[in-house]
Amino acid sequence: MASNNSLSASLENYLETIYLLIEENKVARSKDIADRLKINRSSVTGGLQALRSRGLINYEPYEFVTLTEEGRQIAANVLHRHNILKEFFVEVLSIDEEEADETACRMEHGISKNIINRLMDFANYFKTCPNAGVQWHEHVGYNCKPNLKDLRCCAKCMAQTSEGACCGLPIDRSMPQSCTTLEKLKPGEKGIIESISGSSAIKRRIRDMGVTNGALIEVVRVAPMGNPIEVKVKGYYLSLRKDEAADIVVEPQIIEKNAENSEPSLSGNGSACGTMPGVRDKRCTI
Amino acid sequence: MKKRYTIAIAGNPNSGKTTLFNNITGARQQVGNYPGVTVDKKEGVREHNGIMINFVDLPGTYSLTAYSLEEVVARNFILNEKPDLIIDVVDTSNLERNLYLYTQLIELGVPIVLAFNMADMAKERGLELDLPRLSALLGAPIVETVGNKSLGTKELLDAALELINSKNPPVRPDILFGRHIEDSITAVIKQLEPHLPGADARKKRWIAVKLLENDQEIIARFDHSKVLEVVEEQQKHIQFMLGDTPEMLIADHRYGFIAGAYHETMRSTIESRRTNSDRIDEIVLHRVWGLPIFLGLMYLLFWLTFTVGTPPMEWLDALFGWIGSTVSRLWDPQVLPAMRSLVTRGIIAGVGGVLVFVPNIILLFAAISLLEDSGYMARTAFIMDNLMHRIGLHGKSFIPLLTGFGCTVPAIMATRTLESRRDRLTTMMILPLISCGARLPIYALIIPAFFPPLWRAPILWAIYLTGILLAILLARILRNTLLKGDTTPFVMELPPYRMPTFKTFLLHTWEKAWLYIKKAGTVILGVSVLLWILTNYPQTEPDPSLPPAEQQAAMLANTVAGKIGHAMEPAIKPLGFDWRLGTAMIGAFAAKEVFVAQLGIVFAAGDVDEDTLPLREKLAAAYSPLQGICIMLFMLIATPCMATVAITGRESKSWGWAFLQLGGLTAMAYVLTLIVYQVGKLFL
Repeated sequence: MASNNSLSASLENYLETIYLLIEENKVARSKDIADRLKINRSSVTGGLQALRSRGLINYEPYEFVTLTEEGRQIAANVLHRHNILKEFFVEVLSIDEEEADETACRMEHGISKNIINRLMDFANYFKTCPNAGVQWHEHVGYNCKPNLKDLRCCAKCMAQTSEGACCGLPIDRSMPQSCTTLEKLKPGEKGIIESISGSSAIKRRIRDMGVTNGALIEVVRVAPMGNPIEVKVKGYYLSLRKDEAADIVVEPQIIEKNAENSEPSLSGNGSACGTMPGVRDKRCTI
Repeated sequence: MKKRYTIAIAGNPNSGKTTLFNNITGARQQVGNYPGVTVDKKEGVREHNGIMINFVDLPGTYSLTAYSLEEVVARNFILNEKPDLIIDVVDTSNLERNLYLYTQLIELGVPIVLAFNMADMAKERGLELDLPRLSALLGAPIVETVGNKSLGTKELLDAALELINSKNPPVRPDILFGRHIEDSITAVIKQLEPHLPGADARKKRWIAVKLLENDQEIIARFDHSKVLEVVEEQQKHIQFMLGDTPEMLIADHRYGFIAGAYHETMRSTIESRRTNSDRIDEIVLHRVWGLPIFLGLMYLLFWLTFTVGTPPMEWLDALFGWIGSTVSRLWDPQVLPAMRSLVTRGIIAGVGGVLVFVPNIILLFAAISLLEDSGYMARTAFIMDNLMHRIGLHGKSFIPLLTGFGCTVPAIMATRTLESRRDRLTTMMILPLISCGARLPIYALIIPAFFPPLWRAPILWAIYLTGILLAILLARILRNTLLKGDTTPFVMELPPYRMPTFKTFLLHTWEKAWLYIKKAGTVILGVSVLLWILTNYPQTEPDPSLPPAEQQAAMLANTVAGKIGHAMEPAIKPLGFDWRLGTAMIGAFAAKEVFVAQLGIVFAAGDVDEDTLPLREKLAAAYSPLQGICIMLFMLIATPCMATVAITGRESKSWGWAFLQLGGLTAMAYVLTLIVYQVGKLFL
């Protein structure tokens, strides 16, 4: 970690590139490194020798390049900073991906760990605060747009704050219609599990019992006194209370007999419920 | 010395683990507790091919996290006791979920044999598996078993011994959690190095994974160290990159691995058809019929316990009476008279008074075992949860509370089915407010003494109802004060119905009945002796001028108990009680029904039971109806009997809770009776 600060931006880029090449192709060759970084091979050799002298890579001319444990750590850290910066630009500042990537490539080398952590916390908060997504709109500025995953919570948030405003921002009430929560399904209806929210105890318990994202779940019956409900998942039966079922977001599956009511968007293309996008790794050039 | 192996049996609840354990060990088993917790630890021995093997039945769990006591117990047993092998019992008809536990077991490094149990049921459902291939993918031998028909047990043991002695065991899969999480694991391991000198790579990885999974037990081991900082940072990183907690993502990867292996080796011949279990549930969980059927079954349970159980109880009562009288006949009153009285009136009467309930207890537990083993027990929780949840309890609290109408002691033992300690303690604390069978003689004595026939039934009903309402109130108070916290998730499996096997049924019934009998021989014996001393010493010479009954009363007034009664009088006077009631209450601590006998003595009514007219007349002459009500109210709420206090202490693993129950309920009784008496006096 200590040598982290003394490493130049270009050396860090070498490490990052080697890390990604090993990740993708299992091996890193100096030719590939040169191609990736868009520089000539002789400069690569110089860079690699500098890295070797610092004990960050194992390298002999005409052989594969491998990372030492320390080199791997540094590379992973650079990538981590890159990803966080990019995510921050895209998710919070609504910058397009390409621009975000380019800027991240330039900033990833100098930014301190503390600031990176704060940015990460802020982006995490921003995406979930208070359980509603906030988005940048061209003419409005920041705008509260409920993320489907958190609709239930957003409704709660709206009820608590003044009319129609969530976290003091105007609410975009248009929301995708295709998703609902498990407790709203009637006996005999089925759905694909999109996400599970709620307290971690319930989440964990539910997962341990086989209720996982993407599984088909069917409401079998409601208890004689109206609560709890019985569901069938992966061929066995579970009972859960309605308020627990409300934490399970499902995409209802249309049963044949009322297929005429279905809208095209309901055909179940999986992403309709808007799960949070993961960040793709992007390479930096020197 | 001969080699002796230890094999642990792990598996999901309802996977048929216990039946398999019973098949392997037969009756050669013993039930104990894991140190410090009330989780049953069952052990047994079996000789196979000339080798002695110890078997330990681990608690049934779905996972090996630190969220429930059972999981921690199972995990620590494997980590600390290092068994030679684990048999992971798997419900074959429910493979995907059952194998989830396997993915966590392999991380602990102990050799594992998979018992694919209920293989017949899976075949019936049209499930065909390529077992050799699945075995290779999972890296463990697989043996098919049918627990309730005792099939496959021998093969299972063969496979187990073979694996223990194997020079080159099958290679287990590495379940990887994706690049981001693997990077985080590497980073955490790096921090761990100095803390775990000499630990092998597998152990380090396990600890790193548990830390990332937010496993509180492991986290506590690294309190305040740099390790936790790194863990937290990595958790945030993963949350950020992948949009979910490491815990959930790791679970996804585990399930993903199983789903892959399962779908690659599974061939389903028939679309899953409706099983018998579904048909039964359609009737017993019916929107309309479900509740009446449930109530009918509960009625049956009580009828069985108290109607069928009464004749044998009377035989036992007669037997103890006969033993007592025989001993006093054969024992010359001149030889050790004090000892003679202690044995006949103290020990035989005291212990006998508890043992007479053994037939009821056996029947009750037999019925509960049947409900449990057949799978209906989970349905009772399903039906009753809505009601119980409103009180702040779990659906599973219902059966213990119901049992409480019979006897509080087995009811407290029945709270073991509750997973959360908070739910369990709440249920235990309110249970004494449910009028048990032993309080009926008190009500039966008091009510006719003070009230005309028309009023008797409603008053009896009202006193039971008062208990129930107070129990609800107390539950709510406890859930908002001492036992505050999130309600535990209700999520519970509704296992398929199964025919209980006779062997398991007998074992389950016997286990519980034996606990009860053991208690009578220890705690109750001790307190009986103590109470006998209190009610017999110091002795005074009988005054020959009085009739025998009056002599007894005069002697009792001089004993420690009588003096305590007198000493208590100023304190209980505001409740409308005098020293005679105080003395009788001390006796009632041994067992509630002793109150009646003690009142008989202090009122010099001779040998009495609740039907005795002279005692009722004397009571009616001595007290007002309002005082009668106050007596019943106080006896309903105050001082659970010593057996209840003892079992609460044992089951809660804390005498603090037992004494809180004792003191709290007595204080509550005092205050409520005081209010009723003082307010009642103004109107009457």
